[in-house]
Amino acid sequence: MKSLRIFLNFKTLISGCKILALVFLFGSCKKNLLDEKPLGSLSSDIVLTNNAGFQNSLVGLSQSAREEMTMDDQTYIMNFIGTDEVSAAGVEFTFYKDYNTYLNPTTREVNNIWNWAYTKMILEANTIIVYANKPESKSIWATDAERNAVIAEARFYRAYTYNLLANTYGGVPLVDTLYSGPKSDFVRSTRKQIYEFAAADLQFASKWLPPTMAKSKEGRIVKAAADHLLSEVYISLGEYDSSIESANRVINSGLYHIMTTRFGSQKDQPGDVFSDLFRDGNQNRSSGNMESIYVWQFEPFTVGGGGSQGGNTQVRQWGPFLTKVLAPDGKAMLVSDSLGRGTGPCRGTNYLLYGIWAGNFNTDMRNSIYNMRRTFYYNNPASTYFGQQVGIRSSQEDTMRNIYPYPRKVEGKPWNNINTSGRTAKDVMVFRLAETYLLRAEAYFRKGMLQNAADDINVLRNRAGATPVLPADVTLDYILDERARELITEEPRRRTLTRMGNLVERVRKYNLLEITRTTIQDKHEFFPIPQTAIDANFSAKLEQNTGY
Amino acid sequence: MILTAGYQTKNGTVILGTKTWKLNKLKFAFLLFFSILVSINGYTQKVASHFHEIKGKVTNKKGEPLSNVSVSIVGTKKGTLTNNEGHFTIFISDDGSSMLEISMIGFQTKVVEVSNQTEVNVTMEEAIAGLDEVVVIGYGTQSKRNVTGSVSKVDMAKKENLPNTNVSEALRGSVAGVQVIDDGRPGQGGSILIRGPRSLSASNDPLIVLDGIIFNGSLADINPNDIQSLEVLKDASAAAIYGSRAANGVILVTSKKGTTEKPNIRVNAFNGVSDWVDKVNLFSPERYIQSKLDWRAQSGLEADPSKILTYLNKSEADNYTNGISHNPWDMASQQGKIGSYDLSISGRSKYTNYYISGELVDENGLIFNDNQKRTSVRVNIDNQIKDWLSVGINSTFAHRDLSGVSADLNNAYTNSPYGTWYYPDGEPTQFVVPEDQAYGNSVRSAILTNNEEIHDNLFSNFYAKITFPSINGLGFRVNYSPNYRWSHNYNFFRQDKHLTNNTTSAQKFDQKNFDWTLENILTYSKQFGKDHAIDFTLLYGRNHYGFESTTSTADQLSSDALGFNNLGLGSVLSNSSTAAASEGISSMFRINYRFKEKYLLTLTARRDGSSVFAVNQKYATFPSGSLAWIVSDEPFIKKISFIHMLKLRLSYGTVGNQAINPYQSLSLSSTTQYVYGDGGPTTLGVYPSSMANQDLKWETTKIANAGIDFDLFKGRLGGTLEVYNTNTSNLLVMRSIPVMTGYNSIFTNIGLVNNKGIEITLNSINIQKEKFEWSTNFVFSNNKNEIVHLYHTDANGDGKEDNDLANNWFIGHPITTYYDYVFDGIYQVGDQIPAGSKPGFVRFKDLNGDGKIDANDRAIIGSGGQPKYRIGITNIFRYGNISLSIFVNAMENWLSNFPLLNTAVSPNAPGRGLNQLDAGYWTSENKSATRPSLVYNNPLSAGWYVSRDFVRIQDVSLSYQFSKKTLDKFKMSNLRVFMSGKNLFNFTKWPGSDPESGGISPSNLYPMARTITLGVNVGF
Repeated sequence: MKSLRIFLNFKTLISGCKILALVFLFGSCKKNLLDEKPLGSLSSDIVLTNNAGFQNSLVGLSQSAREEMTMDDQTYIMNFIGTDEVSAAGVEFTFYKDYNTYLNPTTREVNNIWNWAYTKMILEANTIIVYANKPESKSIWATDAERNAVIAEARFYRAYTYNLLANTYGGVPLVDTLYSGPKSDFVRSTRKQIYEFAAADLQFASKWLPPTMAKSKEGRIVKAAADHLLSEVYISLGEYDSSIESANRVINSGLYHIMTTRFGSQKDQPGDVFSDLFRDGNQNRSSGNMESIYVWQFEPFTVGGGGSQGGNTQVRQWGPFLTKVLAPDGKAMLVSDSLGRGTGPCRGTNYLLYGIWAGNFNTDMRNSIYNMRRTFYYNNPASTYFGQQVGIRSSQEDTMRNIYPYPRKVEGKPWNNINTSGRTAKDVMVFRLAETYLLRAEAYFRKGMLQNAADDINVLRNRAGATPVLPADVTLDYILDERARELITEEPRRRTLTRMGNLVERVRKYNLLEITRTTIQDKHEFFPIPQTAIDANFSAKLEQNTGY
Repeated sequence: MILTAGYQTKNGTVILGTKTWKLNKLKFAFLLFFSILVSINGYTQKVASHFHEIKGKVTNKKGEPLSNVSVSIVGTKKGTLTNNEGHFTIFISDDGSSMLEISMIGFQTKVVEVSNQTEVNVTMEEAIAGLDEVVVIGYGTQSKRNVTGSVSKVDMAKKENLPNTNVSEALRGSVAGVQVIDDGRPGQGGSILIRGPRSLSASNDPLIVLDGIIFNGSLADINPNDIQSLEVLKDASAAAIYGSRAANGVILVTSKKGTTEKPNIRVNAFNGVSDWVDKVNLFSPERYIQSKLDWRAQSGLEADPSKILTYLNKSEADNYTNGISHNPWDMASQQGKIGSYDLSISGRSKYTNYYISGELVDENGLIFNDNQKRTSVRVNIDNQIKDWLSVGINSTFAHRDLSGVSADLNNAYTNSPYGTWYYPDGEPTQFVVPEDQAYGNSVRSAILTNNEEIHDNLFSNFYAKITFPSINGLGFRVNYSPNYRWSHNYNFFRQDKHLTNNTTSAQKFDQKNFDWTLENILTYSKQFGKDHAIDFTLLYGRNHYGFESTTSTADQLSSDALGFNNLGLGSVLSNSSTAAASEGISSMFRINYRFKEKYLLTLTARRDGSSVFAVNQKYATFPSGSLAWIVSDEPFIKKISFIHMLKLRLSYGTVGNQAINPYQSLSLSSTTQYVYGDGGPTTLGVYPSSMANQDLKWETTKIANAGIDFDLFKGRLGGTLEVYNTNTSNLLVMRSIPVMTGYNSIFTNIGLVNNKGIEITLNSINIQKEKFEWSTNFVFSNNKNEIVHLYHTDANGDGKEDNDLANNWFIGHPITTYYDYVFDGIYQVGDQIPAGSKPGFVRFKDLNGDGKIDANDRAIIGSGGQPKYRIGITNIFRYGNISLSIFVNAMENWLSNFPLLNTAVSPNAPGRGLNQLDAGYWTSENKSATRPSLVYNNPLSAGWYVSRDFVRIQDVSLSYQFSKKTLDKFKMSNLRVFMSGKNLFNFTKWPGSDPESGGISPSNLYPMARTITLGVNVGF
């Protein structure tokens, strides 16, 4: 039998005293047997060896940048809550209500923003920049311009992040390289150094980024995005001429203008040009929106179309908790596709909902019924009150949480058609030309050129049909009011106020809640440095912000 | 080559295999094995003519033949072994008489004088139980008497009356220094900790060696009925032969063999039911209502009990009005059940020793849809092919079916007692309180998901053993052990009939693992004269580990008719896959030297190479040495009558830990997706995800161990006392680093951790009468764990090494140390209360007295991770044919954070339609000094530290052994019935479900099951 023969062979082998040979039969291993080559994972050394790899890495940055909104359920709304514009006034909310107890070095957003900045944005940007500049990468690039365009986009994101950090924490550690091992002796650079670093990145970005993007690449960074941001960074540096110059490069480029005629997906339906800017599908330039500069992309029913928390989270945060509103017959309101499912943490202050509209309440387009939702109707067919307007409410729970006016910019088609998702599929304009005008107006104002400041502000007021502002009436507070009217939900208000240094002052003046107005202290102008970063950095002292 | 030959040969036996188990892989193994059996037939013996031949047979006292018994001629190098029949043939010179020494582990060595006779029959006397039993050591067996290292044996025969479906349950509380953590869910393997945790973030799981081969599968894949014994190797001397993998100790699992010529058919079956030992205390309906009122009052809202209907969500108010309320745990539960049926056939024939078994386990956990079904089969066959050659296979196939999505405990924990779980048509609701959508219905996903989760594991070891006739005592063994594991997890979430959007999604996950081990083992045993004996073992081997997996998902399916079987029906599709592999190379030698059979020395060294480490750190060597002295063999001790056996052991050596995943020393990137433009396609993104560590290397543990084994008063009191001191250096840690580096953490080697401990095992026979016997087994262990060094830095210049606050690692403290604000009671009305606090809020100690509470007021609160003391006591009472065994398990002196003790977990409970833990709370009427009010939101994120101490009546078993007379009547060899209870009572202050496993988040609150079973054990 065959098997027997095999065993006989086996025996022959042994009887031939080949024992040691057998022992080492499987031992004559090659030296490289233990070398590792990952089977299922990439590395920068593999990816960043051709232009396609760099392009993929820039896609990674686009995704990380969008995570600013979608990383979790709460982090993004810290831009609004506890400022002059918004309070989380619902009874059980604690966000920035009592500043004394809420904002401290272990607060969730304090960690989240910091971690997102350093482990996503700055790391990814530095990886691209360092690898693209490597001498051995030289052969990848057809031209210097091709390489510089890649570096420019990465440097834009890095500058965006550092500017965000400086407007949140003040001075932070400046990281412009890659580390190959643990390092625990970081120290903070000054806030000015951070702005200067961001400005240098943006100057490069402005020089090398393309002026426009093909429709299929909308969402990528264009030159105007760098100039827009540079205009803001120069204000922070006190370099107003440079700020104006940067804004001019956007405004005078011929590529952008303030929209004054109806356009886009719902131009034939009731509405106005301001509401057109915020209807589904109208955020990218190819829709006809000539104000759009930098847009976070959301795409339902598509892999990669949403972030960690799915789609655009604005409606969940700004929308009131309407399903808790009962009709007099006890029937609750229903979640619907037009209203989405709000949970009511972003309850506008009286300043936002009423104060800023004083004098133009009925004339300012930005306060039209298409742009501010102030009336609600019972939508439960089971209720005898179906279709009737919801009357005036007076209980704290209703007025602070369940039903209140809100900007309709946040409305959109429900994410993946799920009405209860609290999310929409609508793209988000991060930079819009209207803000470029307001940045230039601020630079003019700070230079004392009040007429130019008023002119810029009036570009927006005229479009909105509001009374033009007189040069003598332009103040920093007026500019903030105008920003609120024009950019509500769009500008990260907390960062604007911290940048301008009047967060504390304006919270004391305008916040809805007494506890917020009375507990905010000077230290709260900045976020504290996360305790985890201080604890981990044990080889050098990472200074905490004063007062924490 | 062997495989092909075997497969071509067919015979009747094969049919048995295929008919019984319709499993291709198994069929293959059967075919292979039986063909080897059949194809190799008799053999001829060499006959030498110039010597006088002596034939003989060696048997035990029962007359059963003993194989592999060493028969040697004293004073010469000549010797042989008995075959499977117990026969031996040896040639002695005709001039004068010779002495034959007949020896085998587990038996007393005999010396027989022979002169002219041609036949010698020897009956071996079994060594006295206890110290003289045979234990399995790495790569071999040894008489316990000769063991120099720390080896603890669990005799599975003693666990037969317990309804264990998992090997780890048998270990629980029975070996000093071993802690078993089992979350109580069916089909989960449980994790085992030997002598406490020593690694900070590499695995602390011990190495499992199944029939001599390192086992990478789950312990849940092993049928405990198939296990003959478990041996736990604790010190370096015992474990160092497993070198790089032995740092956390080694558990040797040995499966059964045939023992008698008469085939033995054995059936073990039990059936039982389970209920909850304890339910985590959520707000009852009444307390829930009260908590809403109290929360409103504390929030400054109107809190008029008569208006409660307006305070509740509408749907809750309706249920309240209609008197409908539920216990959310009940809504997420099912009746717990367990059934286990095991059949085995074993025996030994002329050349063959076999053990074949099949098993079926069917368990329903206490949580809805938390089920397991396991079927497994095992074949162990050993064949004597030639007097110098035997081949064999140990093979097991396990099929675990964990299908079904179990109820979501996170949701169950938060579901309101006034919730609505089902629509009138019987469909589950999406949210039990539709107005509040923070958490879903605990059973919705369990009901709407069709899930199929299967884990298959085929583990085999094919071996050949050769003894060299020309060189007495020289043996060689080759093992080839493939392990093929494949698992899949398929899900289909169907359309929710009450929603208008398409809720369907389907996912298929498939994974294949293929590991193999190849080992060449050379052994040599030699007796030099009367006083010197050596055993020598040399190993060279290689191992491979690899897996690949694919995940495909489809969302928004156009039809739900095909479930997860046609993902092409989805409108949003995505795929991902991955793979990894690692390689290892090992060489090892061991020398056992015995002088006068009472001074014992063992030296071992193992050199391992592993691909998972950095380029220049692939190899490491692990030496060890141990000494033992059988004191009781000294004349001056022999005079002391009550000492039957006394042995001292001393060992020192190093072991390693490579328990990290492949590629951790490399800098890797991950992928993501983004969609540019409107209506555009998905674009791939890449980003760096891990930091490289070019110095990543082995973790090394040096272990010093001293032990005393004793047996006193003629076996009435025996035991082991052991002390050890281990230093683990180059700890493999996932270290949190400043995120400014771009990464949260890195896998690295740091510092030094020390573990010191004492372990006591006592076995006593307290009462021994003809009818009544009472024996006690007591195990106790204490382990002290301490970080000695971290990074050898002193940044603050205080002359002391820096602690690492980010990781909560402190020099001089245990690995799991809690560093936090110090609780100082509750602010009461009239106290001086700082801004931001109010009556009912927690007061912390201002440690530095600067008038404010900040990060500088944190201090070390205590330690956890492992108990200071582990105690197991088993009492066995036997009265005639009835025996009762009671096992009490206790762990004392440890803490854990229990974050669910927070009262207000912003922004959810208690203001909304959500439930939570009811551990009491402060109100202005009930001024608690320990619990805060319902609006206290824990601004500093301080932990809540509670004791994990517990005492548990773990196992109680009552059995009745039918008498020999009855057995003979039914032609049975054994019949026993038993009733047992598991987790009968648990005494603890722990607020969670199980202090031993220590789950602290709602999703880990799987209940501990109290199980009562009835079983029968039959032998033919």
